Amino acid sequence: MKLKARDKSSLEYLYDNYSAALFGVISRIIRNEKIAEEVLQDVFLKIWDRISFYDPEKGRLFTWMLNVARNQAIDRTRSREINNDKKTSELESFVSAIEARGNEELATDAIGLDEVLNNLPEEQSFVVRQLYIKGYTHRELADEFDIPLGTVKTRLRLAMMELRKQLDIK
Amino acid sequence: MNIEEYISTGVLEAYVLGELTPTQRLDVESKLRQEPTLREELRLIEQTLEAFAQRGAIKPGEGVRSALLSKLDGQKEAKVVPINSQPTKLAMAASVAIALLTSYLSYYYYRQYQQTSQTLGNLVAQSQQLAQDYSVVNERLDKMQNDLSIMGSAAFSRIVMKGTDNAPDAMASVYWNSATQEVYLSIHQMRALTQESQYQLWAIVEGKPVNAGVFDMDPGGLLAMKPVSGASAFAVTVEPRGGMPTPNMATMQVIGTMPKT
Repeated sequence: MKLKARDKSSLEYLYDNYSAALFGVISRIIRNEKIAEEVLQDVFLKIWDRISFYDPEKGRLFTWMLNVARNQAIDRTRSREINNDKKTSELESFVSAIEARGNEELATDAIGLDEVLNNLPEEQSFVVRQLYIKGYTHRELADEFDIPLGTVKTRLRLAMMELRKQLDIK
Repeated sequence: MNIEEYISTGVLEAYVLGELTPTQRLDVESKLRQEPTLREELRLIEQTLEAFAQRGAIKPGEGVRSALLSKLDGQKEAKVVPINSQPTKLAMAASVAIALLTSYLSYYYYRQYQQTSQTLGNLVAQSQQLAQDYSVVNERLDKMQNDLSIMGSAAFSRIVMKGTDNAPDAMASVYWNSATQEVYLSIHQMRALTQESQYQLWAIVEGKPVNAGVFDMDPGGLLAMKPVSGASAFAVTVEPRGGMPTPNMATMQVIGTMPKT
């Protein structure tokens, strides 16, 4: 395929079609817009560099890009820089912590993810939110909330079945 | 385990999100090659995930695209530089590489610097705000301690002034130290006045009203008034802003006499 030959126009094509979806993923994990945009740029540079590792036999290109984006965003939240940033804003928003929480709800709400997630049973939407929106790995989610790893997997499975219906995937 | 059971464990979802160990991943991949049902299920999961992500899409800022493309151009140039055995060409390539590296490093350090100075700026602003808040709170604490010591002091008499027919609900107190002549006013309830008028406190000394100062509503705690000696009663009237030499008795709001000792 074209991208494998590292044709710049094919990367532009990917950017134009998928940057918003990937940025949606990244900016739910990273709340700071500037840093999220840096991560998005890094993600596309990585896609460009590592496209030869993508194997169409093993799945869709979007899935591969999504995982690059998700991992990059998760890595970044683990880095010191963001931790500092978090601490700063924690101090700043000490008084308005409740308002900030409200805004966070609003941010997901405005984009219509809540619309589909709210139709899921609480335990399922919880798993999706933590994995997708907070950027937890399965293992972290299991440890943090004391849910067996197998249960995390089956709940995500049920949630995906329900989303499939809602999003009308055939 | 049959295929349906295998699917229902959620192993494919975990595979799609890259959450499996390398061994588990290889296992899933070999099963996928054998089972068309699994491949179909994987397709549905991936499409659901993509549709979900598209649903939550957020458009990044315009600058990202152009920044990305110009970065790629930079990378390309670095790779296009032809290197052959000629020493001048080699030197050129080296200088290009060094120039690229240097500009990358300066960009990198500039960004680090920007981030650090921004963080520092935030912290300085915060500590200034905290210091300000602290001194405000400290001042209020000082005032409250002072107020409390006056209210609890045996040297001060408390004269409760009750509302007159003009303002039946109004109430205020005077704390008066007859030895030092200090007078403090505490408002319990008095209505707000227009901009043009002000309350004026009077001490009744030997049957005559003596000006003890004007005040507005809500001073927050005790209000220091003019020193007074030999008072037998205190009263408050409404006067034009700035006060008057003699009271307008018709506007009297509250009045109270010294408790008999």
